[in-house]
Amino acid sequence: MSNEVNIYKPIRAKLLEVITESPTIKTFIMEPEQDFSFKTGEFIELTVDGIGEAPFTPSSSPLETKQIEVTVMKTGYVTEYLHNMKAGETLGIRGPFGRGYPIEKFYDKEVLILGGGCGFAPIRSLLYSLVAISDRLRKVTLCYGSKTPDECIYKPYVDQLRNTPKFEVLRTVDEPNETWSETVGVATVLLDKIKVDIKNSVAVVCGPPIMMKFGTYKLLEMGYPEHNIYLSMEKNMSCGFGKCGHCMMGKYFVCKEGPVFTYDEIKDQPDIWS
Amino acid sequence: MKNYYSLLNSDWNSAIDRLLTEYLIFAPLKNDNSIDYELINSENISEITYNVPKPITPLKTFFLPVKENLTNDSKPISKRIILGSPNCDIQGLKILDEIYLDKDYIDTAYKEKRDNTILIATSCFETQEHCHCMIYGIQPYPKEIADISLSYLNKKIHLEVLSEKGEKFISVIKEHTTVSNSPEIDIKDLELKQSKIENQLIADNSGLPDYKKTGTIVNKAKDEIWEKYSSNCVSCGACATICPTCTCFLLIDKPNFEKVRQLDACQYPGFERVAGGEDALHELSKRFKNRYFCKYVWKPQKFKSLACTGCGRCIEACIGKINKNELFRELAN
Repeated sequence: MSNEVNIYKPIRAKLLEVITESPTIKTFIMEPEQDFSFKTGEFIELTVDGIGEAPFTPSSSPLETKQIEVTVMKTGYVTEYLHNMKAGETLGIRGPFGRGYPIEKFYDKEVLILGGGCGFAPIRSLLYSLVAISDRLRKVTLCYGSKTPDECIYKPYVDQLRNTPKFEVLRTVDEPNETWSETVGVATVLLDKIKVDIKNSVAVVCGPPIMMKFGTYKLLEMGYPEHNIYLSMEKNMSCGFGKCGHCMMGKYFVCKEGPVFTYDEIKDQPDIWS
Repeated sequence: MKNYYSLLNSDWNSAIDRLLTEYLIFAPLKNDNSIDYELINSENISEITYNVPKPITPLKTFFLPVKENLTNDSKPISKRIILGSPNCDIQGLKILDEIYLDKDYIDTAYKEKRDNTILIATSCFETQEHCHCMIYGIQPYPKEIADISLSYLNKKIHLEVLSEKGEKFISVIKEHTTVSNSPEIDIKDLELKQSKIENQLIADNSGLPDYKKTGTIVNKAKDEIWEKYSSNCVSCGACATICPTCTCFLLIDKPNFEKVRQLDACQYPGFERVAGGEDALHELSKRFKNRYFCKYVWKPQKFKSLACTGCGRCIEACIGKINKNELFRELAN
């Protein structure tokens, strides 16, 4: 074969640590064999050797190039195997792929982030980036929803954020327990509780499709312009570079032109919420 | 007319025979009722059929095999000559090139096969029942992408050079046999034949909307149309498998981080299903509709090349006898 890079060949990454975030969600900390950098919101294809490959947006800071983290919910074939893996084993990584968050467009603005469930993973990476540039931002509000208090992930990081100037975190759960002292209800109810200067604000939505849909509608209702709502779309991204066709969403290859889109870019494409 | 060369059929065959030591050569042979590419050897050279419309297998499978290991670097790539491809297939390579040679992510497995293949395409001197290339602005004879356009006419093989690679190929042939410039009269005869076929294709397909109109038609079509035309679909995926421009694939993992590409089709259930269970193309009629939108609405917004070259294979291959030209005729009126 020629000297050109083989875009299908993963680089190896050693699994350093597995953190249990919730009964169904784990974070995998990996050390790639070579330096691996990505921009926040871009995704990688993670290979479980001989089993399969699945797309994940790293949940770690893009400023960290020695290690990379992904936070994965056990939902299917590959993630089931992944959840059984232990530190010391080897994974494969391809990428990074796609278009991430254009954080330079967030300068001098308020950033409202609506997240749900495992959608916190890409958001955490975004938050790391935003903390690093917080002197250029007005404020950052995270509205996060999950099913139960047990399933609220990244608890230490939430505490840390709550002590970070300009950052605010609101959380809600569908089914509270006795110790839950925060909001109860679906993620969008948090949007009624916050104060935002919509004219100087952008919104970011990442979570399960149903939350993305109703979250976006709510933001539109609040007055957010379509081009200021950033959505991280979930499709069956397989190759990662616009060839295999599995993630086509109308005219877009989500893997190459996304996964981050503004609502006005995709609103006319079919089946964006499924 | 320096671009046209001719030689006797017998000389051409012996030149091809000599090239067999260096190249794998594929060309269409006739078997009972069908024509398909076969590997050429000294015995079957004389059976090669020229100037016939499309072989059963689309040309794409030479560049995107049904199944291929993409990470196994050890196999040397063979030098190949593919003889006798019609222009619908040749034009189909354009969109494949746009996708697989996209400079952001060059697919080396595809590129090496393209680089190592000499394409000796052919003019169609006859048509098949569902040929409709002309309606989409594709002529039934190659003028680009291929390296040479071959025509067997007046008992001679005529070779029109279309690329630098083609020019080099002529010099190689010249080492083996006598090649002269094609006489003006033969070129005139060829052009006459070509324009006759063009006219016939237009006449055979009257009322069929062109590629500029198909997008609007598909966009406006009501869901009842997709339900009606997909009612005989059994999701076999033959339309996509046999299509010279359908290129979707599945990546399969093998131990030691190997990746195997297998051609896939959006007509198969589960094509778009994600791990969480969402599946935008779960319904059969939606999958059926998806293929039309892909070819006539979305790909044209995205790529310069056509996503349907009017070869008609999808009509021939459909076991449900779904005819996309009937659909377009119905909607055009």
